Amino acid sequence: MTTQDILVSEGLAVGHGGNVIMTSIDFRLAPGRILAIVGPSGCGKSTLMRSLSGLDLPLGGRSEVLGLDLAVATATEREGTLRRLGFLFQGSALFSSLTLRENVELPMREFLRAPRREIRALAEYKLALVGLADAMDKMPAEISGGMAKRAGIARAMALDPDLIFLDEPSAGLDPLTSGRLDELILKLRDTFGTTIVLVSHEVPSILRIADFCVYLDPDAGRMGAYGPPRDFLAAGSHAKAHAFFSQARIS
Amino acid sequence: MSHAPASPPRARTEVLADGTTVITLGGDWNRQAATPAIAFKGDQVRLVTEQLGDFDSSLPGWIHAHFRQVRRLDLSALPSRLRSLVELAEQSTTTPSPETTGGLLARFGGWGLESSSSWGRAFEHIGDVALGLGRLLIGRARVNWQDFWLQLQTAGVDALPIVALLGFLTGLIMAYVGLIQLRQVGATVYVANLVSLAMTREMGALMTGVIACGRTATSFASQLGSMNVSQETDALRVLGINPVEYLGLPRILAVTLMVPLLSVFATFIGVFGGMIVACAGDLSVSQYLTQVVVAISFRSFLVGFIKSIAFGFIAAWAGCYRGAVAKPSALGVGEAATSAAVLGITLIVISDALFAVIFNLFNF
Repeated sequence: MTTQDILVSEGLAVGHGGNVIMTSIDFRLAPGRILAIVGPSGCGKSTLMRSLSGLDLPLGGRSEVLGLDLAVATATEREGTLRRLGFLFQGSALFSSLTLRENVELPMREFLRAPRREIRALAEYKLALVGLADAMDKMPAEISGGMAKRAGIARAMALDPDLIFLDEPSAGLDPLTSGRLDELILKLRDTFGTTIVLVSHEVPSILRIADFCVYLDPDAGRMGAYGPPRDFLAAGSHAKAHAFFSQARIS
Repeated sequence: MSHAPASPPRARTEVLADGTTVITLGGDWNRQAATPAIAFKGDQVRLVTEQLGDFDSSLPGWIHAHFRQVRRLDLSALPSRLRSLVELAEQSTTTPSPETTGGLLARFGGWGLESSSSWGRAFEHIGDVALGLGRLLIGRARVNWQDFWLQLQTAGVDALPIVALLGFLTGLIMAYVGLIQLRQVGATVYVANLVSLAMTREMGALMTGVIACGRTATSFASQLGSMNVSQETDALRVLGINPVEYLGLPRILAVTLMVPLLSVFATFIGVFGGMIVACAGDLSVSQYLTQVVVAISFRSFLVGFIKSIAFGFIAAWAGCYRGAVAKPSALGVGEAATSAAVLGITLIVISDALFAVIFNLFNF
């Protein structure tokens, strides 16, 4: 696992319901790296994440996740792979009829053969990691959007996945909490070696935590650039990616 | 802002010798006033103003609508405020999307494609349910048993009052209508046969099935549909949990189990309802009950029971299927609930007819 790339995209095309919206996505990601997907809103970042994870099938090209080629994999194989990764959705997607604690417990109850008490302790630990120790018995409708995001991250971490996808984890969070979240992401990577793919608009946060960055160019309908985020600060880099990074940096 | 009386918006077109179309804009432009119609040719246009009064977004909107296709549009003569409003919209304009409203033929084709794909998805969903049941039998399905117990309660026990009421009234109406006819031939005693046979073989199962569609299928469709809206279904898939198995199976099992029981209950109540009417005038209670015992065989009971199992499955499946394919919007959830009830009731009546043919063939 250490030598093999955890995510491989070769000429990947992604889209919604048969309509291609982004093509020519090429990159490889080694385990334990943090990848940020950036681009103007509506350019297909979330769609790309869904295809990378195997939640949606790619519309063309090759996509490999955790060593599984998605184009030729069976539904059962994909299901098995999905189980090995965590996913935070843009709208958090917490189960609205369960408390936060039960939300985090659900995957553990389904897949871990551990006593109830132990699962409960684990769930409480994961919720404490994201700073929700005193909101564990609240229902998703009773908490703020930022808290829901954090609970979603706790659920994504429930089974200690090798790979976590985070769709705009820090959107709607105050700067302090968002800073804590960056630390949490770095800590996850450093202690568990978790690979993390995230969609984000927060340039300072991307510069701080991401090792690599995919820039999607909606005008061309293809991947614009791929590389370490600091490279895009230099004037000679991909023009639109540079504009994105420097514009956000000024503001 | 001036308070002078508004003059209507004007646009005058003239073509210069070099082919440039010059459009002169004037008057007061606001959303209430009708915008002028223009016609021009060529892709070289220059916009100028003359006695331009007040304007709101209707003027830049009008310019955007008419001239965004023009290749060489000269805005330099416009007042700077107007020019910047137009240019701001130009920047984000890409190629206009083609008109999607086709002719009658295109719409008919679209409808055909849509309905064939929806049939495909329906069969796919039935297949998923069957596979899930298979995995359940070998103990490998992930089913939310909490949901199962909850649905036994909500789809079963909680439905008792409405099933009782409708069953009672059905029996009552049948006895009433039957008596009027039977009196003419002096065979009023057979009203007991009529009511009890109809309730056991037909109406008990049918009424309960229809109630299950109205109460339970709609509720399943909106539950699962709103889980689509909040991406909860995706969240399950990402955990490697099959939503059809986890959410659909417990619901389908619970309802398939409860509808036959409710149907037996409705049958009893219906026969009782018939007794009230029959014994109010023509028969004694013991006469009625004796005839009922004679009329109902175990075979007719079985006919009703088998049907009610099928109706329970159909109602629950219709709800789960429409919920699973619901569009992720508030409107989509509403549509899912409606179509679940329609689909469920339609399929129940169709399958009831099929059952009639089959039971007739085998002399059941």
